[in-house]
Amino acid sequence: MLPVPARYYDGITATRQNVRAMLSEDGGALLILGGAQPAPLEWPLARLRAVGGAARKGHLVLALHDPANRADARPLAPARLTVTDPALIAALRARCHLARRDRRPGMRGRLVRRGALAAAAVGIMLFVILPRMADTLATLIPVEREITFGRSVVAQIERALGATDLGDLDCTAPAGTAALEVMTRRLSAGADLRYRLEVRVLDHAMVNAFAAPGGQIVIMRGLLDDATGPDAVAGVLAHEIAHVEARDATRHALRAAGSAGLLSMVIGDVTGGAAAVFLGERVMRASYTREAETGADRFALRMLNNAGVSSRGMAAFFDGLAEAEQEGGPGRLPTYLSSHPDSAARADVAEANAADQRATSPVISDAEWQALLAICD
Amino acid sequence: MTHEQGRLGGEYHGTQGPLFWLAVRTAMLTALTLGVYRFWAKTRIRRYVWSSVGADGDAFEYTGTGLEKFLGFLAAIVILAVYLGAVQMILFYFGLTLFGAAETQAELFLQFGAFGITSLAILPLVFFAQYRARRYRLARTRWRGLRFGAEAAAWGYVWRAMIYWAIALLSLGLLWPLMTFRLAQYKADRSWYGNARFRQNGRWTGLYAAMKQLFVALGLMVLAAIFAAIQLYVLAGLWATLGAIWFSVGLLSYRVNAFVYLTENLVLEVPGADDVTFGTSPQTWNVLWQMVGGSMAVFAATGLVFGLLGAGPLLLIGLEAVPLHVLIVPSVLLYMLALAISGALWLIWVAQPILRHVVTRCTAQGTGALNGVAQRAGDSGADAEGFADALDIGGAF
Repeated sequence: MLPVPARYYDGITATRQNVRAMLSEDGGALLILGGAQPAPLEWPLARLRAVGGAARKGHLVLALHDPANRADARPLAPARLTVTDPALIAALRARCHLARRDRRPGMRGRLVRRGALAAAAVGIMLFVILPRMADTLATLIPVEREITFGRSVVAQIERALGATDLGDLDCTAPAGTAALEVMTRRLSAGADLRYRLEVRVLDHAMVNAFAAPGGQIVIMRGLLDDATGPDAVAGVLAHEIAHVEARDATRHALRAAGSAGLLSMVIGDVTGGAAAVFLGERVMRASYTREAETGADRFALRMLNNAGVSSRGMAAFFDGLAEAEQEGGPGRLPTYLSSHPDSAARADVAEANAADQRATSPVISDAEWQALLAICD
Repeated sequence: MTHEQGRLGGEYHGTQGPLFWLAVRTAMLTALTLGVYRFWAKTRIRRYVWSSVGADGDAFEYTGTGLEKFLGFLAAIVILAVYLGAVQMILFYFGLTLFGAAETQAELFLQFGAFGITSLAILPLVFFAQYRARRYRLARTRWRGLRFGAEAAAWGYVWRAMIYWAIALLSLGLLWPLMTFRLAQYKADRSWYGNARFRQNGRWTGLYAAMKQLFVALGLMVLAAIFAAIQLYVLAGLWATLGAIWFSVGLLSYRVNAFVYLTENLVLEVPGADDVTFGTSPQTWNVLWQMVGGSMAVFAATGLVFGLLGAGPLLLIGLEAVPLHVLIVPSVLLYMLALAISGALWLIWVAQPILRHVVTRCTAQGTGALNGVAQRAGDSGADAEGFADALDIGGAF
């Protein structure tokens, strides 16, 4: 093979050296002739690496592997040789492992240590510090601010459910509203509640109920339709009242605000990153709401006991949920369930509680129950 | 004055095909690894883009690695996890306590104030990350075998940036050129090519010429206000719309012309030789066309890609040929592929053409002096842009 022209930069100055390059006789090295060097340079093919992204066709920029170089990210010697001769490029590509990635020793250890440290920092923030901070901050928020916040949360949900104007979905049949009021009074009588409860029914087929911050409780018509009787609705209502009292919604909103920021930082703004953050948030929420749900169930049972309402209705409601879970039918209950404990187990707890209850009476009269069922008509 | 011989023009050798496939491949890998691969993805794309840029047949070289970026990110995460998590929650808390019910002006003002104060807590980190990211990129850039570099001066940049931004905002944009110039100067004067230092000459008032189109837009707005005052609302609306469009074009024009002014007043001080000077002549209209036309093409093509890739799963759902849950994984993958293609199209139809336009319109004079430039010591790269990655700031490449 004859020597071909090439460009050489020695990595010491920016002076271009027009050199000639060729493979050595034994084929084990690339010889660089001419330029400022007194003797030809011999670059062993085994140490030859291509640099850069090679965007320019017909150009190959070469450097030598140098494990001793710790000043650069890649362990390459500073000199560069640009070859443009197609035959030499082809020969080099055929004989050398030009794209080889040279790892420095100890990098794996660094990666593991840093990774563990970062995971620990994020984990501690997400699971220890942010929840604690959220609990503290939740108790510091003035109740009236919480109520305003709760209103806007409910308004958002109304819009999401398809209300063009706020209040479109409100169910306000007077007799039904009165029945709901009776139920709420009976449950909260004797309980010293921090919040003034505002219970509403929205005209939507979803079997769901939720508590927004500041005492707002929303029951969907679907839940009334699905309930086995007034006591079941009372069980759900008591459960939501428990959430209100524990300020769960506010705490979760605070926690989500902190953790969503962190998660999006970790996962980054990548393709589908937003979806990943959303999923991560869901998973985390599910993990820490279980505790809140169990607590709310306990509180709800106490309320039912105090009010003399049988928790058998609540048990029946959970049984219904458990069945729906097993069917997994489309459109039924997934939101209500995702973050809740196993429904069958909750039903058992409610059933066991019912067995120990003293005298009970239906939470509202049959006429009132019929009125409540017709609240959206 | 330059006495040395030599004049170099910028070259750009990148093409659409390789960059497109590189971007699609790396974006898919990024999605499949839940974002971990993004450091390698960015590095590989930079390697390609850097090697596309050259002068006198010598291409630039990007020597960074994905691994060091990932390590830098992990280090930044530790600090930011604590800081950001706490700040965000407190921000939300203030948002809550001052929520909605602002009935008086004063309350409204307080509300914005609270948001402002908490975002101020993030701002220094953003400037810090910006400077460090630039320093890292320079430290990992080589040309003709020599390293570029920047001095470790991020905190000095932070407080200057805060002050100049405040001045620019408080002056309602009138002192914007002061900020542009001083911050550019701070960065340029601390940048090196080998042992040669860059120096930003010129005056900040020289940037006012670049604001010409913005003043025209202001004039249109004033006209609109006058029409509104004399109750010619249709005319007012027309002029206001024109003014708004002119304003956004004016912003781009300012960026382009400020870049021209700064470049033409930039010199490279080669020790023992004459300065190398620079020139550039990008055209606002060309950049605008690449941005608007390119974005529209990307938008249309993205719609097409989503339609084509979405047709398969939708058809299968419609025919009820396969159970829904079987389709979840392929659908998610197709969705990611469509997003990756869209991002790659943006790269080749918007970002790369603009870069090509700007690079090929840059020149350097007196480049004979470059032969006297010597190598500089390596820079560890600090956090390897970790803060910028974590805070998600940074440009196209």
